[in-house]
Amino acid sequence: MFRERIARMIPDANAFFTAEQEWKSIRVNTLKISKDALLKRLQERYEVKEMPWYENGLFIKGENIAKSIEFYLGYYHIQEAASMLPPLAMDVGKKDFIIDMCAAPGSKTTQLAMMMGNCGTIIANDVSISRIRALTHNIQKAGAANCIITNYDGRYLDKVGLKADKILLDAPCTASGKIIKNKKMIEKWKYWRVKKMARMQKALIRAAAACLEKDGIIVYSTCSVEPEENEEVIDYAIEKCGLEIEKIELKGIKTRHGLKEWNGKKFEWYDKVVRIWPQDNLTEGFFICRLRKC
Amino acid sequence: MQIKKVLGSKEIDEIESIIEKNYGCKAGLHNYRVFMTGEEKIWIVSKDTDFKLFNVIKRCYRIGIYFGKLKRNQKIKLSIEGAIMVGKNAKKNIVVVGEEEAVKFVQGYDVKAEKLIEAEINNFVLVRYGNDIIGVGILREGCIENLVPKARRLVKIDETEE
Repeated sequence: MFRERIARMIPDANAFFTAEQEWKSIRVNTLKISKDALLKRLQERYEVKEMPWYENGLFIKGENIAKSIEFYLGYYHIQEAASMLPPLAMDVGKKDFIIDMCAAPGSKTTQLAMMMGNCGTIIANDVSISRIRALTHNIQKAGAANCIITNYDGRYLDKVGLKADKILLDAPCTASGKIIKNKKMIEKWKYWRVKKMARMQKALIRAAAACLEKDGIIVYSTCSVEPEENEEVIDYAIEKCGLEIEKIELKGIKTRHGLKEWNGKKFEWYDKVVRIWPQDNLTEGFFICRLRKC
Repeated sequence: MQIKKVLGSKEIDEIESIIEKNYGCKAGLHNYRVFMTGEEKIWIVSKDTDFKLFNVIKRCYRIGIYFGKLKRNQKIKLSIEGAIMVGKNAKKNIVVVGEEEAVKFVQGYDVKAEKLIEAEINNFVLVRYGNDIIGVGILREGCIENLVPKARRLVKIDETEE
């Protein structure tokens, strides 16, 4: 069923299933070291190239990148190349009050902290205590001193009384965009999981909208390619949560529009959201959308 | 997270003087809000972070980053991030290690120093490899006792997180 669904979404479905990733990706932690200084050190031991869509992203080839002293010191963070994009879609300001609703393990949280120059406030929330331990570890290691870690179920975060300028909702998902790293997921794919995740994502985006100041921004992203987890959630947010969509433009990466329609439902705003397909840039698949509270 | 005390300027000065006495420099704590939790743990948070939220948020797990722990002997056991902050300008109680020992140190082993810079025995020392401060230890006769926390040590781990 998964194969047929993908074939309905894109003409190059075969490439989707066969794409392979050659390079690993890391993000320079400019809170601790400059990009040039790190690049100079890494080039002595690894093959390194710059990432066209993010100035602090690097592609790297070589053994033991998670065992180097630079990694231990938090000079870089191992982060999937496409997962560096949602924070870029936020237009982060140094004084912002940002909520990262599903923050663990903290790759995007620490990227946001870095983009804010350790200023402003980030509420890094996650529902799972075990995942919060990883989040805590990564925030400490990054030297991100502007984060407050909270442990709420994101679906009820609006009950806490926080109001944010911007919210990153990198929602839990079926992760079908990770196929480039895990081909076994094709056999494990289940439609009921897609529906279950979609229900949770709608509850999360509803709570996110309620936590947002007027004119505030939500960036919604998933590493799933399923329309139920992406376009249908955005459709729900526009209709039920008082949010309007804003066009995203990302430079240096091949992106595609969202789906125009799925199962009879039409998405007129399809050209304002971004889909990253694994075969286009040899990254994980991603869906990114930017919404503003009316 | 239970905040015991938010430190005022004088109290931050006291912490700074302990650091200065041990390492010959200050840590720059006045650039942050500094607070303490149980077991005399010292934490720092950016000055313009909406710190007062800890009163509002009931399920607050952590704020800012862990700087170090004030010990009974009026010395501070620095975290790696605390050591990096202090190490930028430190003048004493520094031990320099070579590459092989640095690798062992970040894996959690006690190591031997290549060079001592005004380092006192049985005292906290900053461990330096090249220009990097890689953590803290206690200088013992013939070795540096490793204080790298278990969770931070380099071991075989999955390389990708997301």
